[in-house]
Amino acid sequence: MFLALKEMRRAWVRFVLLIAAIGLLVFLILFQQGLQSGLLTSFVGAIRNQSAPVLVYSVDGQRVLQGSVITPDLEQIVRATPDIAEIGYIGQGTFTVTADGEPADATIIGYEREGVGSPRDLTAGRLAEQPGEAVASEADAEDGFDVGDTVVVEPGGLELTVVGLAPDAQLSVTPTLFVGYDTYLAAVAARNPGGGDPLPNALAVVPDEGTTPAAAVAAINAGSDDLDALTRAQAADRSPGVAQVRQSFQIIFLLYGLVVPLVTGLFFLIVTIQKAGALTLLRAIGAPAGRLVSALLVQVVIIVGLGLVLGTALYYPLTSFGATSLSLRFDVGVVLVWSALLMALGLASSLIAARRVLAIDPVVAATAAGAGR
Amino acid sequence: MSTTQDDTFEASDSAGTALRLRGVRKVYPVAGEEVVALDHADLEVAADEIVALVGPSGSGKTTLCSIAGGLLTTTAGDVVVGGEDISGYSPKQLTRFRQDKVGFVFQSVNLVPFLTARENLLVVDELGPRTGSAARTRADQLLDELGLADRARNLPAQLSGGQRQRVAIGRALMNDPDLVLFDEPTSALDTHLGEQVMELIRREMKDRGTAAVVVTHDDRMTHYCDRVVHIVDGRISA
Amino acid sequence: MKIALRELRRRPARFVTATVILTLVAVLVMFLGGLLDGLVRGATGALRAQDADVIVYSDTARSTFARSRVEADTRAAVEAVPGVARTGGIGLVQLGARVPGNGPRELAATALFGYELAPTRVPEPPAPGEVYADDVLRADGIEVGMEILLGPARSPVTVIGFVSDVSYSGQGSLWAEPGTWRDVVGANRPDVELPDDAFQALVVQADEGVDVQRLAEEIDDATGTTESLTTAEAIEEIPGVRAQRSTFNQIIGVTIAIAGVVVALFFALLTVERLSLYGVLKALGARSSTLFAGLVAQAVVVTAVASAVAGGLALLIDALIGPGSIPLDISGSRVLTSAALLLVAAVVGCAFSLRRVLRVDPAAAIGTGS
Repeated sequence: MFLALKEMRRAWVRFVLLIAAIGLLVFLILFQQGLQSGLLTSFVGAIRNQSAPVLVYSVDGQRVLQGSVITPDLEQIVRATPDIAEIGYIGQGTFTVTADGEPADATIIGYEREGVGSPRDLTAGRLAEQPGEAVASEADAEDGFDVGDTVVVEPGGLELTVVGLAPDAQLSVTPTLFVGYDTYLAAVAARNPGGGDPLPNALAVVPDEGTTPAAAVAAINAGSDDLDALTRAQAADRSPGVAQVRQSFQIIFLLYGLVVPLVTGLFFLIVTIQKAGALTLLRAIGAPAGRLVSALLVQVVIIVGLGLVLGTALYYPLTSFGATSLSLRFDVGVVLVWSALLMALGLASSLIAARRVLAIDPVVAATAAGAGR
Repeated sequence: MSTTQDDTFEASDSAGTALRLRGVRKVYPVAGEEVVALDHADLEVAADEIVALVGPSGSGKTTLCSIAGGLLTTTAGDVVVGGEDISGYSPKQLTRFRQDKVGFVFQSVNLVPFLTARENLLVVDELGPRTGSAARTRADQLLDELGLADRARNLPAQLSGGQRQRVAIGRALMNDPDLVLFDEPTSALDTHLGEQVMELIRREMKDRGTAAVVVTHDDRMTHYCDRVVHIVDGRISA
Repeated sequence: MKIALRELRRRPARFVTATVILTLVAVLVMFLGGLLDGLVRGATGALRAQDADVIVYSDTARSTFARSRVEADTRAAVEAVPGVARTGGIGLVQLGARVPGNGPRELAATALFGYELAPTRVPEPPAPGEVYADDVLRADGIEVGMEILLGPARSPVTVIGFVSDVSYSGQGSLWAEPGTWRDVVGANRPDVELPDDAFQALVVQADEGVDVQRLAEEIDDATGTTESLTTAEAIEEIPGVRAQRSTFNQIIGVTIAIAGVVVALFFALLTVERLSLYGVLKALGARSSTLFAGLVAQAVVVTAVASAVAGGLALLIDALIGPGSIPLDISGSRVLTSAALLLVAAVVGCAFSLRRVLRVDPAAAIGTGS
């Protein structure tokens, strides 16, 4: 410990630089992790957090509510499927609205009953009970979608009053409003008077007790090639773009993850080589090899630890103030997992340097022209 | 004294003195106290003289060498090298001075480890006047004289101790200096090799009429020099 | 400087560390840049291809095709504005396409455009029932001569050729004459149906020398119901483009800073190893600026080598990743800009060693003190 700390204090510039490098890397990893979750939540949060265990699209919808249409025939087929407890319409549209005096985009999702497409959790208020009431995505509360705010659908002027907030409930990165199905139809009509009622975009399905969502999905899909039934999780994961986002980030995390042990391992290897003379001397005067190795590992733990702290400290403010249009979350679990992983990688990479330390032969000290006289 | 630097490849100055130190004092502040490394040192070295500077470690001989070579400034006193008064020089002026007027042969870490023997000589020209092919010719000439013509392309690691020392001497002579400073040139060599190197030094200095100060604590080697100056505790005795 | 370069050549091993790490960081920078470029390219191709100066949407559309609608009388008003040379109607519908040979649930995501004025990379509108297809759709098994069925109504269209870099919002596009487009819309999306002389938006070509920014404003003044944007602005307004750009650039920026820190760190270590060498060189008359310039030269060479290797690797990754999986587009200019930025970061990183180089005392080169 003594050796480890003394050396770091004497040559503090290099250690500070290393901590800075690791800190920035950790920051980027955490930031991109938050970005990935935020992206996925902002795109498909509404799907993940609505209450129906199974969603049925038409195949033509390509797993996007917007493009999916359930015709009466398809509806019949679904209703005829056994072991289904409840079925409800889901209607979705993207509208121009006025919120907080400003024009904005909003997604309106209409559902028929609680538990069949309604939001699963609420962080404020209640579900819509009357026509004209809506539950808004919590992320947009500050922009005029808070409980008590009125949102006006344009054109047409239909007014919606926000009565509750749901967490992680956006669809396609737009403010999302969950309303009763009648309210949804009213919004469509207000925008396009004389257009007639649209067909539902999807069906929300609750399987019977004792039937798993997966079984219900299989049964429904067997009914027609034009039906695309998915469990809630599948509907979110197989939305267009989700797989791409995941794949891209995997490569990114792999590359960033490699840089940390590379920088740490190579740094400590070089420093150990540079210190060879001093280390040989210490061994010659009786320092056990294990003591020198543990001094090295102590340094690694301190450096990587400080780097983790720095990176986390840089990331934390972003989650409060936000650097992007997505809201980033500070997930303690994620931070801990990455910290453990990077610490392990850092220690593993320093084993090369440790081997070097162990290979030192103290006899060399006595015979070397170290003093140079 | 005026500084005349136009005659780069001429040897001695008009006054015939390669080095004159007068009343040179060097004082270091160490932990709040003052350590006197050199105390009123006077030394004169003629233009073609080889002077041995002998003293125990801590006597100040390295400090004196550094001052004579323009590596250190004095706390007090005059330093005139080859007719040039460097006493009040700025670091930049001293750098130029070292490029032109002095040669060094250090005790350790003399040669650039990744440059060949020839390139080690050419370093001096690289850093200074940049005469290009004139320097290359001179380098080849020197290597030839020093018996290293066939080792010109070797790296220091491929040369023996004695050969490395000769390369260092060649480098010290590249810019045709008024004064060459040798710091313990034979301490790492056995007697036979040491004598060979001292013979070489004497021959090269005398052939060119270049002055030299050889710092040494090796009594076996002092007879190769014209005169021995003793230094103890920062003071010079004849 | 020559000495520094010679050290690089004779002692490459000591520079390997920094080079390896910088190569990895450079690959990251280029990969991220390529992702950004790929995403933006895939989102904006169709608009970038437009041979037009202004795009006219209706003012409630918030600059998207889907909610926009421009009637015939609005179009007449636009055409009457001085400075407008030609207008072309354009409309879009996003549908899944059934491709012969693909399974019943494997639809190709397409964006069908009906157009009048041909974009730069697309020929004049084809005959009714025919379409030009975006070549990214090859990954879905579409071939020239194939008849594909669009949407739930299974509207048939025949692919008569491929065009490139015309994607919209990440989807491959199809280009048809307006009548075909209207038929498809009518059959599949009755709620979006438009009368025969209405389009979703107009592309406007301006007369020579007209200020397009002013023209866009004048068009809106003349119609009172439109929101006109220059083509460049319209491209920026495509959902996601701006946010993607700013987010990615921030990440890339921090990564480049990391490269600078890496250079600072490993060159600081190198400098310490070379202190006695610097001492000797200074004693021989080397100026600090010469020594520092040599150090910077080494950092530049190391970074250049790392960038070159990384560039090769990045282009290889780009080639290996087929179209249709990750939207990656690593171009030569992206590689070069990344390399340039990394070089700047490397030079800045060297500044950390400057003080140490300045402080080297040549007197310390003599003996071992005293």
